[in-house]
Amino acid sequence: MAAHSSDTCNSKYVTLVSTEGFEYVVLREATLISPTIKSMLRGQFSEAKTGRCVFPEISGLVMEKIVEYFHYWYRNQDKTMVPDMEIPVDLCLELLVAADFLGLDKQT
Amino acid sequence: MHKEASEFEPCWDILRSAMTDIHKKNAGSLSFEQLYRASYKIVLRKKGGDLYERVKVFEEEWFRDHIMPRISELITNNLINVALIQAPGTSLHERRQMGEKFLRGVRDAWKDHNMSMNMIADILMYLDRAYTVETKQPSIFAATISLFRNHILRNTLSSSQEQFNHDFIVFDILNAVVLDLINMERDGDIIDRNLLKQITSMLEDLYETDDEIGDQRLYLRVFEPRYLQASRAFYRQECEKLVRESDAGSWLRHCRRRLNEEKDRCGTTVSLLTSEKIAKVVESELVMAKLAEFLAMEGSGLKVMIDNDRVEDLSILYELIARVDPSMTPLKGTLQSRIMELGLEIEKNLKNTDFSAPSNGGGADGEEAAETAEKSKAQPLTAAAQQTAAAIKWVDDVLFLKDKFDNLWTNCFREDLILQSAITKSFSDFINMFNRSSEYVSLFIDDNLKRGAKAKTDAEVDVVLDKAIVLLRYLTDRDMFERYYQKHLAKRLLRNGSDIDTEKDMVSRMKSEMGNAFTSKFEGMFKDMELSRDLSENYRDHIRQLGDVDTQKIDLGVHVLTLTTWPPEVMGRSTTQEDASKGQCNYPPNIKRLQDSFFKFYLKDRSGRVLTWVGSAGTADIRCTFPKVPGKETGPLSKERRYELNVSTYGMIILQLFNDLAEGESLSFEEIQAKTNIPPQDLQRNLASLSIAPKARVLLKEPASKSVKPSDRFSFNSGFVSKSIKIKAPTITSISKVEGDEERRETEKKNDQTRSHTIDAAIVRIMKARKQFGHTQLTTEVITQLANRFKPEISLIKKRIEDLLGRDYLERVEGEPNVYRYLA
Repeated sequence: MAAHSSDTCNSKYVTLVSTEGFEYVVLREATLISPTIKSMLRGQFSEAKTGRCVFPEISGLVMEKIVEYFHYWYRNQDKTMVPDMEIPVDLCLELLVAADFLGLDKQT
Repeated sequence: MHKEASEFEPCWDILRSAMTDIHKKNAGSLSFEQLYRASYKIVLRKKGGDLYERVKVFEEEWFRDHIMPRISELITNNLINVALIQAPGTSLHERRQMGEKFLRGVRDAWKDHNMSMNMIADILMYLDRAYTVETKQPSIFAATISLFRNHILRNTLSSSQEQFNHDFIVFDILNAVVLDLINMERDGDIIDRNLLKQITSMLEDLYETDDEIGDQRLYLRVFEPRYLQASRAFYRQECEKLVRESDAGSWLRHCRRRLNEEKDRCGTTVSLLTSEKIAKVVESELVMAKLAEFLAMEGSGLKVMIDNDRVEDLSILYELIARVDPSMTPLKGTLQSRIMELGLEIEKNLKNTDFSAPSNGGGADGEEAAETAEKSKAQPLTAAAQQTAAAIKWVDDVLFLKDKFDNLWTNCFREDLILQSAITKSFSDFINMFNRSSEYVSLFIDDNLKRGAKAKTDAEVDVVLDKAIVLLRYLTDRDMFERYYQKHLAKRLLRNGSDIDTEKDMVSRMKSEMGNAFTSKFEGMFKDMELSRDLSENYRDHIRQLGDVDTQKIDLGVHVLTLTTWPPEVMGRSTTQEDASKGQCNYPPNIKRLQDSFFKFYLKDRSGRVLTWVGSAGTADIRCTFPKVPGKETGPLSKERRYELNVSTYGMIILQLFNDLAEGESLSFEEIQAKTNIPPQDLQRNLASLSIAPKARVLLKEPASKSVKPSDRFSFNSGFVSKSIKIKAPTITSISKVEGDEERRETEKKNDQTRSHTIDAAIVRIMKARKQFGHTQLTTEVITQLANRFKPEISLIKKRIEDLLGRDYLERVEGEPNVYRYLA
């Protein structure tokens, strides 16, 4: 993907990296629902410069679900009567921790 | 537990070194995620409080070790001297350089701090979410940003104590430098506005305490009061200088400029929060403080502005005063007194003009009418016309003044309602102070309507009528006006001297302005005129049908006038002293026959009416034949000459006497009087018209002096020659003129009588409705009811009440003084 183009700050996509080094290229706008990622990309830190956010403590399994959620939110943000997202029970705890880390616990 | 505690220090180390990098602007290689995770972990381990404190301590140390030294360097003794002690000796340029350098240092420190704190707050965002909110402490950003206030702005200058024996903080210097720079700009220097704006924005972002309560911004609490105070001092001084050295016009412009400047300054240099407050300062110190002095300035003050129509000055003045005093008091007072002065000047000028005229109309009452006419023959204008001219000049001047102030009102005062009523009141005051205003307004209308039909276009007449109505609105004694207008209108109607449509137009305007009651008499007069025209025509038809061929055929045109709607002067009902002697005059037999015939015709349809013939108001066309003068073979005298002579009814009666007279015989004044029974005054006038004015001298007078005396004798002028066939005998009283003093007293007396009756009627009307009423209320009520007609004098009302008490219309209520009861 074009995640490493010279113009990363303004690229439409950002790359999220999991513990295992799996890379997820996500629409930048969709990730901004997370205040943590939002601050990350807005500041003058390396993530903002490269468009690449590494999360050493989020596993690929969880990251995949989070990315799914980002897209789920992005698609449905203006709609009402949206079907619930499917959450596997065994991932619940880990997802909660990750959500807290990413600041997704607040109603947006 | 041990593991958790041990995790804190490594995390803190990461954060601390990152914070150093952030301050040093080396954050580019740092991973946000790592730092965030470090603070996240600390907070999860319940060490948020420690982290919070440590960050603060870190920042405090940073200020102490890295920032403050740089600021201190900028605060040289020289700067302190200039800023706080205002010590002399430094040039303006130097001062500005030094001040701006200091401000730039503060600004840079603030900018860095602000940016760093933003970044640190970002990586510590989990701390805010999980710790500071729950413990109700200021957010980490608020807590660290405000350290700038404590450790920079409120830092006591170490050197100040020993040097100045007083503790100064950096904030003091900052304020002083900013104010100094702003004053420099006010004095015309160019300063770095952007820099100042950044400083004031900083003060807006900082608060007195860490709670960040809106009205506790440092800008509002510390800077603004000082700014306003300094501005006040600046403008006070400036105003004093202006009042000493400048004039009102430039002061006005200066005020306007300063107000705009200060408004701009709030946008570009200080803060919009201050706009209104600084405007108030300028208004009170620069506009209001010496307002009276400026307005009273000789040569440029309000008086001069008004007199010279300085539209721009007055516009600015209005704008300024509208800002400071919506009631317009300062402007209103001068405006009103100026209108009064100018109004009284008109009257004064008029008196002077009158004085320069050779014949003073004041003494021209009936006895001297002929004399006056004779005297003025040499003059281009007769005395009466001169007085009419005076009336018209007065009206023109008043209208000119009115136009002037209307113009100012529209162009300068934004059609301000308060000023409009003030202007109106002043006009009304001076117009009513002039005791001839009612008469002059009526004369003005008379003059314009008389000539209006001939010389002016409809549009022009329209303008004149409008103007007349404007003046009419100002008159309080409308009953006086009504009386004069009735008299003038009667003359115009009977002499056919005006266009009837225009007359009606005027009256209908008055009607819409003053109400039906006011114009009822005028409308009655119009109606009489119309009925009379029909009547005359019917009578002519009637005569024709009779086939009564009279050898001396006389064509009759009659105006039948209702006694009450026409003015008494016209109806021959004047109350002057000779009233008693005045009876019907003796008409010649042929006229008498005609009158009887008409009366018979008139009564056919209207039995029980009485007709009185008013000889003084009519005219007659007489065909005269002058025989050939014996002995003259050439020239006009050698032939027989026929002329049509237009004379007054009295003139006709007089001339008929000479029909029966043999050649060469003459009649004395007394003889004529005895034969005709024409009142001596009228007789005198008519004889003068027939025997003095050369163009209609059909009678010869002995002696041939220029005035008619009771001893004179008159004879037929058989040698009369005229170039035109139709001749109009000049009527001495035909020109509406200003009344003489005696006439005037007469009119006033009559008016007072009418007023007494009107007041009586009003009192009775009120008491009938109220049954019982107090004196004061009654008086007030009477004044209100009559306001549309005139302003009754209190003493007169009192007199009328007493009169009504005496006539048993009212009685006093026992035990209650000043209360009356109506007696049915």
